[in-house]
Amino acid sequence: MRGLLLPPTAWLVVFLVIPTAVVAAMAFSPEGLKALGDGATWALLGRSFAVAAVSTALCLAVSYPVAYFVAGCGPTWRNFLLFLVVLPFWTNLLVRTYSLIFVLRPLGLYLTPAAGVIGLVHNFLPFMILPLYASIEKLPKRLLEASQDLGASPWSTFWKVTVPLTMPGIAAGSILVFIPAFGIFALPELLCGTSLTMVGNQINLLYKNDPKSPGGAAFTLVLMVSTLALTWTYHRLRKTEGLV
Amino acid sequence: MKRIPLAAWTALVLAALYAPIAVMAAFSFSESPYFQWKGFTFDWYRKIWTDHAIRSSLSNTLVLAAVSTVLATVLGTTAALAARDAFRGKRLYTTLVSLPVMVPDIVLAIALLALFRAVGMSLSLWTAAIAHTTFNLSYVAVVVSARLQGMDRSTELAAQDLGATPFQAFWKVTFPAILPGILSGALLAFTLSFDDFVITYFTTGPDSSTLPMLIYSKVRFGGTAEMRALSTVLLLASVGLIGLSLKLSRVPVAGGGR
Repeated sequence: MRGLLLPPTAWLVVFLVIPTAVVAAMAFSPEGLKALGDGATWALLGRSFAVAAVSTALCLAVSYPVAYFVAGCGPTWRNFLLFLVVLPFWTNLLVRTYSLIFVLRPLGLYLTPAAGVIGLVHNFLPFMILPLYASIEKLPKRLLEASQDLGASPWSTFWKVTVPLTMPGIAAGSILVFIPAFGIFALPELLCGTSLTMVGNQINLLYKNDPKSPGGAAFTLVLMVSTLALTWTYHRLRKTEGLV
Repeated sequence: MKRIPLAAWTALVLAALYAPIAVMAAFSFSESPYFQWKGFTFDWYRKIWTDHAIRSSLSNTLVLAAVSTVLATVLGTTAALAARDAFRGKRLYTTLVSLPVMVPDIVLAIALLALFRAVGMSLSLWTAAIAHTTFNLSYVAVVVSARLQGMDRSTELAAQDLGATPFQAFWKVTFPAILPGILSGALLAFTLSFDDFVITYFTTGPDSSTLPMLIYSKVRFGGTAEMRALSTVLLLASVGLIGLSLKLSRVPVAGGGR
């Protein structure tokens, strides 16, 4: 069965490892390094980071009560509600993004940076709700009751018992939303127009002008390294905290 | 915590999730090509049926999805089967196989674009098919591995003890047992390829636009009435595919211990 290793490994070396090495080599060329040392590069990365972080935080705030409610439902309702949460995710991203315009336009938000944040929250909601649900569902009810019996208000029980105990779900959900939000490309183009440029848009712009753009390669490399670091963190969390 | 406010909030979030889709679908029946309600018509649906750009994009999308699904299913299943045995460097191997799922699509797209440029390959539907196969083989491998893990290997070994060659044992015992996994992996690959925009956008040729690319180019300027109808049809098609894949994933593992 050893021979089975060869075809997929060969494919991935040729079409993943080597291309990545080509991008890295371009990023570490003198022009690429110049782009990496440029203040404008980091300003753009910082802005993308901020947009992704704000979207992730809003996503968490919107999702937590939903996940909490779903975890408290009976099995039938629970499955039905989770199905409703996940269903839109299985449809085309561009179609969903397009449909948002029909709501954003009457609200006067179409082609504003806020539209991008709303779009990201809307799009990545399932990524947040599912791990939160998995974590809240495992919450031992006894601990919440004990906290209440010992005189804590529901509010302080929530902040001092529920939130710390569901931290693995909060962390996992945040990583799962942040990663794709940071590297998003089509969504801001369609919802924000020129009012918001994120890393993905800049990469597109650079590559459209110059197919061998070292600046584009530099951005791509930063995106890849930060994503892999976060993914690694997520897998560590999954292993140590037993998250699904 | 009180249940009623939580239930109300959940209802509100679900409404926000589905409202845009509902509004878009409703507008696809409006006679006006602008953002206004006027009359009721199936005209836009009739128009997308005869539109040349839509037809050629659809055929490109289907060819791309079919080619990459076949290649990715073969490679991904092979990758999953190879990972059954223990060997040196297995962790490195499994990381390599799952890498396309982990890197953002724009990174994979740019890396492949850089490769194609470096070796002087001109972009076409075939370069896009290579790109789609690369991310899809990873997803197929994940789905088939999950199926293999639920399977009892002793039946395959028993078949060998009873005189079957390793190939016969695989073909008559293991393969039928993992077939539902392979099919649901293939279906996932087809769906992902059909829906992909970013990777196609960077790796396909100028004359081989796909449906998501067509939608992107129109929606960049606010969209057209035909796009509403087309988007609504695509939504319904996706929901149909999900139903099919849910059915497949419920087929039990034959002889498995689950």
